[in-house]
Amino acid sequence: MLPHLDAAYNLARWMTRNEDDAQDVVQEAYLRALRFFDGFRGGDGRAWLLAVVRNTALTWLRRESTMAHVSFDEETHGPGPADATVETQLVKGAKLAGLRDCLELLSVEFREVVVMREMEEMSYREIAEAASAPIGTVMSRLSRARQRLQDCMAARLREASK
Amino acid sequence: MTCETAIRLLEPFLDDELEAAQRADVAGHLATCRTCAVVYAPLLELRQGIRSHAPYYRAPDGLRDRVRASVRQAERRPATSWRAIAIAAAILLAISAAFNIALMKSRTAGGDAIARNILSSHVRSLMGTHLLDVPSTDQHTVKPWFNGKLDFSPDVRDFSAQGYPLIGGRMDYIDGHPAAALVFQRRKHIINVFTWPSNAPEGGAELGRNGYQIVHWSRDGMAWWAVSDLNSGELRQFAALYQH
Repeated sequence: MLPHLDAAYNLARWMTRNEDDAQDVVQEAYLRALRFFDGFRGGDGRAWLLAVVRNTALTWLRRESTMAHVSFDEETHGPGPADATVETQLVKGAKLAGLRDCLELLSVEFREVVVMREMEEMSYREIAEAASAPIGTVMSRLSRARQRLQDCMAARLREASK
Repeated sequence: MTCETAIRLLEPFLDDELEAAQRADVAGHLATCRTCAVVYAPLLELRQGIRSHAPYYRAPDGLRDRVRASVRQAERRPATSWRAIAIAAAILLAISAAFNIALMKSRTAGGDAIARNILSSHVRSLMGTHLLDVPSTDQHTVKPWFNGKLDFSPDVRDFSAQGYPLIGGRMDYIDGHPAAALVFQRRKHIINVFTWPSNAPEGGAELGRNGYQIVHWSRDGMAWWAVSDLNSGELRQFAALYQH
């Protein structure tokens, strides 16, 4: 009876980066969803619900003042070597393990679009609805997020091969 | 297509957001242009990395009950607890109705009756508890299960090797026909495949409805309909495997 609970939790978990906070956010979001039910004008139920989850999570982050804008450090996460050489399996493993860390290092407005696009496989239109942003903004955030992830992974790859 | 244009379209191409003609142009360009291919490969690799290595956090056990309980709590009036329960029930019903509105809209928007049936059956199977009558990844278990339940024997396949494992089947009714529903999984996406005998002319079609993709084909006297929230490319690939 509670549709999209996994999607709601996954987004909340990635946005808060914390299991307990994510559970609280989801609980609050479903209550809000009921309260603001009139705001649902049809369309995509998942995107609508995730919009509520997202707003709840942002409020939560602000309230807890854990909205640590982890700034992207260009010194340590500068662009990697232009042409990646052959990687050993070991290095490749270290690289993939770093994905989660790199994703968590992104600021929340980048992290959320990556979660919605790559994990929920939502279309640009759906993400725009959930993130209350124009499609163009979604596209540019997604593109920048990918660039940062690639840079962060390249930096880790260099670390691992040292 | 120039490199300048192609590079700008690489991400929408990756995200399956281009019109068919443009998609074909980019694919054609990528096949011959090394510069663009070198930009595209890491994008694809990043996607694959995220999908296979970044955790998808499923709702932990107990969260569903906790949310339900809090919904009831919020609506509770101290004097009449029966009333509160009724209200909570009504609200849960309302929220599930809200998600159905989406479907109703797509119904009124047109499209033929079977596609609407297929979509609503797919959504019902995911929302309720009735996804599988016969949970099995073995096609030799699923196929005989339909014996005696249907007056035809569905062609049951398994594509585990290609990343679309069979997870089971169930009985369903589509457009007034008893139909076999075969259920496949792609990562966390469910694909429902419905089949029943039909004298429709051979052929196929694809359509999108409300964020869901539907691929239809008719062959050897059987109608086949595959539906999923997968992206259209992957569902198309799945349907191609089935028709092979």
